[in-house]
Amino acid sequence: MYRYDQFDAAIVRDRVTQFREQVARRLDGSLTEEEFTPLRLMNGLYLQLHAYMLRIAVPYGTLNGRQLRQLAMIADRWDRGYGHFTTRQNLQLNWPRLADVPDILAALAEVEMHCIQTSGNCIRNVTADQFAGVAADEIEDPRPTAELIRQWSTLHPEFSFLPRKFKIAVTGAARDRAAVAVHDIGIRIVRNEAGEVGYKVLVGGGLGRTPMIGKTIRDFLPRGELLAFLEAIMRVYNLEGRRDNKYKARIKILVHEIGTDAFIARVEEEYARLDGPSVNADPAEVARIAAYFAPPTYEALPPVSESFEAAKARDPDFARFAATNLFPHKMPGYTAITVSVKPIGAPPGDATSDQMRALADLAELHSADELRITHVQNVVLPHVKLDDVHEVWSALVEAGLATPNAGLITDIIACPGMDYCKLATARSIPIAQAIATRFADAERQALIGELGIKISGCINACGHHHVGAIGILGLDKAGVENYQITLGGDPGEQASLGERLGPGIGADAVPEAIERLVETYLEIRAGKDEAFIDTVRRVGLDPFKNALQPKEAILEAA
Amino acid sequence: MKLLDRHGWTTSALVPVPLEELGDGVALAVGNTQDLEALRPLLGRLALIAIDFPKFSDGRGFSIARGLRAAGYKGTLRASGVLIPDQFAFALQVGFDEVEISDDQAARQPAGQWLHALSLIHDSYQQGRDGTASILARRRVVA
Amino acid sequence: MSKRPQAALIMSANALLDGAVVYYAAGGAWSPQLADAIVAVSEDEAGALEAARAAAEASGAVVEPEILPVGTDAAGRIVPSHYREKIRALGPTIRRDLGPQARGEHDHVSL
Repeated sequence: MYRYDQFDAAIVRDRVTQFREQVARRLDGSLTEEEFTPLRLMNGLYLQLHAYMLRIAVPYGTLNGRQLRQLAMIADRWDRGYGHFTTRQNLQLNWPRLADVPDILAALAEVEMHCIQTSGNCIRNVTADQFAGVAADEIEDPRPTAELIRQWSTLHPEFSFLPRKFKIAVTGAARDRAAVAVHDIGIRIVRNEAGEVGYKVLVGGGLGRTPMIGKTIRDFLPRGELLAFLEAIMRVYNLEGRRDNKYKARIKILVHEIGTDAFIARVEEEYARLDGPSVNADPAEVARIAAYFAPPTYEALPPVSESFEAAKARDPDFARFAATNLFPHKMPGYTAITVSVKPIGAPPGDATSDQMRALADLAELHSADELRITHVQNVVLPHVKLDDVHEVWSALVEAGLATPNAGLITDIIACPGMDYCKLATARSIPIAQAIATRFADAERQALIGELGIKISGCINACGHHHVGAIGILGLDKAGVENYQITLGGDPGEQASLGERLGPGIGADAVPEAIERLVETYLEIRAGKDEAFIDTVRRVGLDPFKNALQPKEAILEAA
Repeated sequence: MKLLDRHGWTTSALVPVPLEELGDGVALAVGNTQDLEALRPLLGRLALIAIDFPKFSDGRGFSIARGLRAAGYKGTLRASGVLIPDQFAFALQVGFDEVEISDDQAARQPAGQWLHALSLIHDSYQQGRDGTASILARRRVVA
Repeated sequence: MSKRPQAALIMSANALLDGAVVYYAAGGAWSPQLADAIVAVSEDEAGALEAARAAAEASGAVVEPEILPVGTDAAGRIVPSHYREKIRALGPTIRRDLGPQARGEHDHVSL
């Protein structure tokens, strides 16, 4: 993973000093709250319902044991002993005090971490595939590209006061695990006919009030032109994005309103004008960054591990975990473990400081000192020998992190919702807990198979409900929490947005409604190998709409 | 000479000159939706362009300044309106020479704060102010 | 001509230093106790409360002051009308060990 040089380290150190002074100026009145708000947002500090919230950047989700241990220390010392993994691969703390935040930033800087631009109308954390560097279908590890974009976008003088937030994601594999099609800029690493590696660039994807799938604006951008091309896009957006209405200010609205062709023309015009060499990274710098992502030294192992197979045969719980939570590694004898942070009945994505320390230990001992945060709010240990999986699993069991539900119905994405968030219109975590509890039985989960439920507590869609196979949106209906269910969303390379199944229902009715949808799927699926989303695509919404009628029966059963 | 409009005689302080005599030292004020192309033919004649910043959160002026410098404008660039000291470094970095703020704001945020804010971040991943090299470029030298 | 009945109103904000929920109390003070909140009932009182809100926002002494409707329970205690404000008075509903509820405060409020 990337390691800071003196320049990177100086930037985060300077940033700590700058924010310390900004806090002092806020407290002494020389900065008004209106002036201070964008400054604190650009250091990840939100105001939530009960307290401030600090969002710590985990660039493209990658971190090492030392960093995770520092996050645990920070959670213990300055917060309430836990953190929340987010859908953009970051970590959130829910109870920091304003005056402590500069010290928190200083503690982060010690381990090459920061909160820079995790909020505000600027370019946010660049996210990537959690299986980067280990997936067999990978054309190229997306993280060097993500790191280059991170540096280019950090404290960018021209693009720090955009019309609205800006999110970039990069994928390097055939299967898109980074949801690039629903980002402001989505980048797919591709090969052209000559076998050269370059970028397919999508613009204008996004969720929220007006969800949209990104439009391709360049099929093949040569590698060396990336930063200049991104500058052209950002300049057009900065100049022409709407600033009159917060809900119409994302780049997706600009693309939609002027039309994709006109937008492409604007970008290409700007791109032709700008001085590429003054912006682009030269190949030596690109290579320098890429070298940090060289794979760890792998042992030459047989593809089948006898001890692993024996452990599965011996221990049915372990066998179940191995069946659900392991990702095929491109190296024989290795696997990537998905550590589920979705224990049944617990808030999705929350980890205690003890759990963080346990994961840090496991990463150092068994995963080449590397972990990934996924944007499904789980954690990946990416380089584990099959020989070691049983030992890792035993430690996960002790830490309460061994739930065998990766990708299954209880692996639910939920935003913090109205339990924490000021923007929320309803709670989301209790809905996730109720559904997970309802479907807790491991065998039943295995029978149902892959099913992504995503829950958002408001229209801003931080829970990504639009791209859930089942999406749930919590709203306020006449002062009562009310939930709309959507079906058929998908965040990957076949990206699609879910469609509503009918009017909203009360919180108590949601688990029963999900029950009906699952039963319908099990009845009509074309065999166990047809995943839920594929059945929905094949048969359409009607069988599922009908399953939710009559509504009264659902409410009575609840 | 006398001047007439639809209401009768009038006066004006403006004195037209022939195009070839249009001197230097012209100062222009533009809004932050100003189209760059319209200004391009005038750039050699302008001593000062003041770009409006109606709100400090409205960053369009930064792109306009960048565009003017990229188009070859060598005169003074002024960011005029509402900015905060924490933006001063960014303003200089994209090509502004000056920032103009209200008296009230200047009283609350004296010059010392602005100059101090400049000193806080030493390096930049992008091309620096006064043309100083970006971190990416400086690494080539160090390597 | 009779006026429409006025909803009872209080003002709430978050404290600058720790972001905790506070309520506008007598003498312009801010208290974490719901019971201390000044309740505006008449139109004049509502106007004064709105003026206080604008002043609080301008002064920056607290963050994001808001006016919100309340009712009272059988014992005459202030209860926020909307579930969002009930959650703010208690703490996260999925972590009863955090927020005012953990200290046994506002236990007359329930969702």
